[in-house]
Amino acid sequence: MLRTLSSAWMRVAKLLVIGLLMIWLVVEVYPILFLFMTSVSTDREALNSPFMPPSSIHLENYAEVWQGVRTKQPFAVYFRNSVVATGGTLLLLLAVSSLAGYALARGRFRGSAAIQQSFLLALAVPAHVLLIPIFFFMTRLGLRNNLLGVILMYTTMGLPFTVYLMRAYFASFPRELEEAAMIDGCSVFGAFWRVVLPMSRGAVASLAIVNVSWIWSELFFALVLLKSAAARTLPIAVASYKQQVMTSEMNITGQFAAMAMAVIPMLIFYFLFQRQITKGMTVGAFR
Amino acid sequence: MTEAVTHDDRGLVAGAGGRPPSTGAARWRRWWNKQGIWYLFLAPAAVLLVAFMAYPLVQSLHTALFSWNGLQPRKFIGFQNFVELAHDPDFWAALWHTLVFSVVVPVGTVGIGLLLAVAISRRVFGHKVFRVGYYMPVLLAMTVVGILWVRIYEYNWGLLNSLLRLVGLGKLALPWIADIRYSLGSVMAVVIWQYAGFPMVVLLAAIENIPQDLHDAATIDGASERQRLRNVILPLVQPVLISISILQVIASLKVFDVVFVLTKGGPSESSSVLGTYLYKQAFELSEFGYASAIAVVMFVIVFLLTYLTQRFVKYQEVEF
Repeated sequence: MLRTLSSAWMRVAKLLVIGLLMIWLVVEVYPILFLFMTSVSTDREALNSPFMPPSSIHLENYAEVWQGVRTKQPFAVYFRNSVVATGGTLLLLLAVSSLAGYALARGRFRGSAAIQQSFLLALAVPAHVLLIPIFFFMTRLGLRNNLLGVILMYTTMGLPFTVYLMRAYFASFPRELEEAAMIDGCSVFGAFWRVVLPMSRGAVASLAIVNVSWIWSELFFALVLLKSAAARTLPIAVASYKQQVMTSEMNITGQFAAMAMAVIPMLIFYFLFQRQITKGMTVGAFR
Repeated sequence: MTEAVTHDDRGLVAGAGGRPPSTGAARWRRWWNKQGIWYLFLAPAAVLLVAFMAYPLVQSLHTALFSWNGLQPRKFIGFQNFVELAHDPDFWAALWHTLVFSVVVPVGTVGIGLLLAVAISRRVFGHKVFRVGYYMPVLLAMTVVGILWVRIYEYNWGLLNSLLRLVGLGKLALPWIADIRYSLGSVMAVVIWQYAGFPMVVLLAAIENIPQDLHDAATIDGASERQRLRNVILPLVQPVLISISILQVIASLKVFDVVFVLTKGGPSESSSVLGTYLYKQAFELSEFGYASAIAVVMFVIVFLLTYLTQRFVKYQEVEF
C-alpha cells in the first residue's frame, strides 16, 4: 500500500521534473529559433507575429546582407576578416604555445621555475588594463585597422592559458620516444617536430577547439583596434549594423540575417566536433 | 681560448666534476643543447607577452598618474585621478554593479547548471536533446546574444512583452532595459540565460564520472533523490563546483560585451560595469589618464582574486 503510493508519487515527481526541463528547454532554445525565423521573414511579419513561423521563406535577406545591398558594406568582407583573424590567431597561438609548453615540460634550464610562475601570473591579467596602451601602441606600429594587430593581441591573451595546458599535456607525454629519437641522431627540436608534435595532434586540436569560440566572438579589442569599415570583424559589424540601418529605414530581418551568419559557423562547428568539445571543455572550464 | 669561460658556463663546469677540460666551443655546444635551446623554444611566447602584456601593463600604471586627452602632452598629476575616482559616484555605481554581477551571475549559472545536470544525469526521457538544447546559447557570440535580447526586451513589440500580453499578464510588460530600475537585472538575466548550459555540461561530466555503483547503491539503500544529491553527488563533485564557480566569478568581473551591446551601461549608468565605464571614459570622453586609473583598480581586484584562487584551487584536480 505504502509502496504503491510512493511509486505513484515518484512517477508524478518524474513527470514534473521532465515538464520543468521542457519549459527550460523552450526558454533556452526559442530565442535562437526566433533569431533564425526572423532572419528569413519580412519586417512586417517579424513585428506582428513573433510566435509564428514566417509564412514564406525569404532567403534573399541573407544574399542582400552578404552583398551589402542596403548598407553598401558587403557582409562578406566582415566574414572574411573574422575567418582570417580567427585562423591566424589559432595558427600562431598553437605554434607559439606548443613550443613554450614543451620547453616548460621538458627543459631543465636556469630560471625555468620563474618563467613558469610568470605564465601563471599572466593568467591573472585582465584585458581591461591593456586596452588603452594597446590602442596607442598599435597605432604607433601601424597595426590599427589591421587584422595582424588583433591577431597578435588575441594570441597574447590566449597564451598563458594555452601554454599552461600544453605544459600539462607534454609533461604526461612518454619520454622514451624522444629519447629514442635523440639516440637516432635527432636534435631537441627535431625530436619535438618529427616525433612529439605529430603524435600530439589530438591535444593540439582540442586546444584549438577550446580557443576558437572566444576568438570568433571577441569584441573588446576589436572595438578599439578595428575602426575602419573594411577591417571590421563580425562581432563589431553585427553590433554596428543596427545603428547604420535604423537611421535610414527599418531592416530588422537584415540585421537578423547578419546575426545568423555570425553564429552559423560556430553551430556547425559544434555539431561536427561535439564529442571533442565536451572533452576539451572539461579542460577549457578552467580557463 | 680554453680560458674563455663565460658566466653561462659556470653551472655546467661545476656540475661536470672531474671531466677533462673541453674547448669553449664544445662547452658552448653542450650548454646550448642542454639549456640554451629551451630559451629559443620560449622566445616567441616571451616576446609576445613582454610586448603586448607586460609593457602595456606598466604603461597603464604609468598613465594613471597623468591627465591626458590622447592628443596634447600628458600632465603629471600624481594620484589625483584616484582621488577623483573616490569621489565619483558613477565609478562607485560601476564598481557596485560589477560586484553584484559577479555574485548574482555565478549563483545563477552554477545553481541552474547544477539542477539541470542532476536532473539529466538520471538519463530522463530525452536527456540528449536537453543537453544539446541547453548548451546551444553558449555557442552564440555574446554580441549576437546582446542584440537578440535588445529585440526580445523591446517594449512595444519585443518577444517578452508580446508573450506577457498574449497570456494576459500585460501588467508585467516592462521597459526592461530602458528603465533604471530593471536594466541591471535584465542584463544579468541574459548572461545567466546564455551561460547556464556551461556549468551544466561540466558538472554533468563530473557526475557521470562518479562510478555508477555509487548511484545504484544509494538507490538500493532507499535513498531519495534529495539524499542522493546531498550525500553522493555534492561531496564528489565539490571540487568541480568550486572551481567552476570561481571561474564564473572572475569572468563576471571582466564582463563587457553583453553590457556594452545591450545598454552601453545606461540608462544613466544604471547598468554600467567597470569595463563599460572604462571604455566610456577612454574612447568616448578621451579621458585616458582617468580611464587608466579605472583600469588599475580593475587590475588590482581581478589580479588579486585570480592569483589567490590559483593558490587554493588546483586545476588538475578536475581533469578527468
